[in-house]
Amino acid sequence: MNKIILGRYIPGKSFLHRLDPRSKLVLSFLFILIIFFANNWRTYILLGIFTFFCILLSKISLGFFLKGVRPLIWLILFTVVLQIFFTRGGPTYWQFGPLSITHFGLVNGGYVFCRFVLIIFMSTLLTLTTSPLEIADALENLMLPLKKFKVPVYEISLMISIALRFVPTLMDETEKIMNAQRARGVNFGEGGLIKQLKAIVPLLIPLFVGAFNRAEDLATAMEARGYRGGEGRTKYRFHAWHKNDTLSCIIFGLLAAILLFLRSW
Amino acid sequence: MSIRFEKVNYIYQQATPFEHQALYDITLTIPTGSYTAIVGHTGSGKSTLLQHLNGLLKPVSGRIIIGDQEITSLTKNKELGTLRKHVGVVFQFPEAQLFEETVLKDIAFAPKNFGSSEQEALETARQMAKLVDLPEYVFNKSPFELSGGQMRRVAIAGVLAMKPEVLVLDEPTAGLDPKGRIEIMDMFQNLKIQQHLTIILVTHQMDDVARYADNVIVLEKGHLLANNFPEKIFSDSKWLQEHHLALPQATRFAKELQKRADSFNFSKVPLTEEELAIQLIQRINEVKQNDE
Repeated sequence: MNKIILGRYIPGKSFLHRLDPRSKLVLSFLFILIIFFANNWRTYILLGIFTFFCILLSKISLGFFLKGVRPLIWLILFTVVLQIFFTRGGPTYWQFGPLSITHFGLVNGGYVFCRFVLIIFMSTLLTLTTSPLEIADALENLMLPLKKFKVPVYEISLMISIALRFVPTLMDETEKIMNAQRARGVNFGEGGLIKQLKAIVPLLIPLFVGAFNRAEDLATAMEARGYRGGEGRTKYRFHAWHKNDTLSCIIFGLLAAILLFLRSW
Repeated sequence: MSIRFEKVNYIYQQATPFEHQALYDITLTIPTGSYTAIVGHTGSGKSTLLQHLNGLLKPVSGRIIIGDQEITSLTKNKELGTLRKHVGVVFQFPEAQLFEETVLKDIAFAPKNFGSSEQEALETARQMAKLVDLPEYVFNKSPFELSGGQMRRVAIAGVLAMKPEVLVLDEPTAGLDPKGRIEIMDMFQNLKIQQHLTIILVTHQMDDVARYADNVIVLEKGHLLANNFPEKIFSDSKWLQEHHLALPQATRFAKELQKRADSFNFSKVPLTEEELAIQLIQRINEVKQNDE
């Protein structure tokens, strides 16, 4: 259970930790967007250096980011291999039926790989330096304009924060139930596919029962403390826009400008 | 099956910023047929120690010998199957492990996993359900329809159905009413006598330790503080106070009595209400004789 690094928060006091979650959220989103504008090796090197710089800034060891890639490595390799085999153009190095390895294919495969790694690094960086509650707060704040269109912003953000809040709890619960069933002779992750699927039933049913019970208790507890919807509720945490946030936006703007320039170079 | 820990260390999430050592150089022996209580505060390493007993966790360094099996950091999970059959673990709030459609099927789950046929497993389940005093009419009900106390019994029967030689209990009476607590603890006591089980009990209830255990292990922040007879442990109330451990009620009463009446001396520190009562009667009789 402890191998999952995506979505994990590591407390700290670095520049990135102290940025406003709203600016972090928007900037990471925009960064992922401009990754798709990169179209040659110069642009990828630029983005790579920028990502590396951000990682240094966060003062979190590189190992965490590499671990973040690990669960997705098969997906990445699969996509890369598809790109390599099915992209046509340029000199052909190898051909077999519809499959061929061409110059363009290899280059595209490389780009796709870089894209994946950059996206994962950046989103890992966001979750490593921003606590789940901050992310939920930021989302609520950013979605506020949608209220005009009758989007239930408070309810959505409450749902997100409750969901995020209960991830570790459910993980603990999963661990406990797995232990209890292991003690009764279940071997998780062993045997054939059917056997593994069957082993999941004794895990999922208690987990669901527990989650429903917990949801009911939580609802009761919230009502007992006078919760009547999010309208007009005040907040404990206030987010204020600081100089550093403006600075980050300017740096990002420069990055995007350089990227667009290198793109057509 | 005797259990021996030799210099066992355990570290959670090793080599990450969340690294946290839970056990330090634990060396201890739990003799066959003993009733061993493990006490200590939250975070003292009780649960970690307990999970080593059937190989759910493996020591980072050091070794554990259970029966004729040795567990070190290199032991493979596949080698632990037989161990898990011999060491049954009833976790805290074990009703969270229930999942089957009927009570009997749930109890039969473990024996089926360990290779019994459907028929045999259900037969075992029936016996175990009777053993834990479940009324016959609930046998084919869904375990989720039962009361809290009954669910607890089903879960316990589910572990007993493996017919373990060692039974590990992690606060088995947490959240039960006083009547249910006594019933369940007495049931374990009877099982131990009938089936010659080795019982390991993790608990905060010093009264249970005094009443049932014949061997006490005290843990503090992952270190072994003491491993001794309950009489020895509870005789040193100053030491207990230093480590923020409570006394059994009867012992506390005896201490209080001694404090208020200097002349009152107990020949042996009473641990249970019975022992206390017997000693008090003795004293009363002595006083009466002196008066005459």
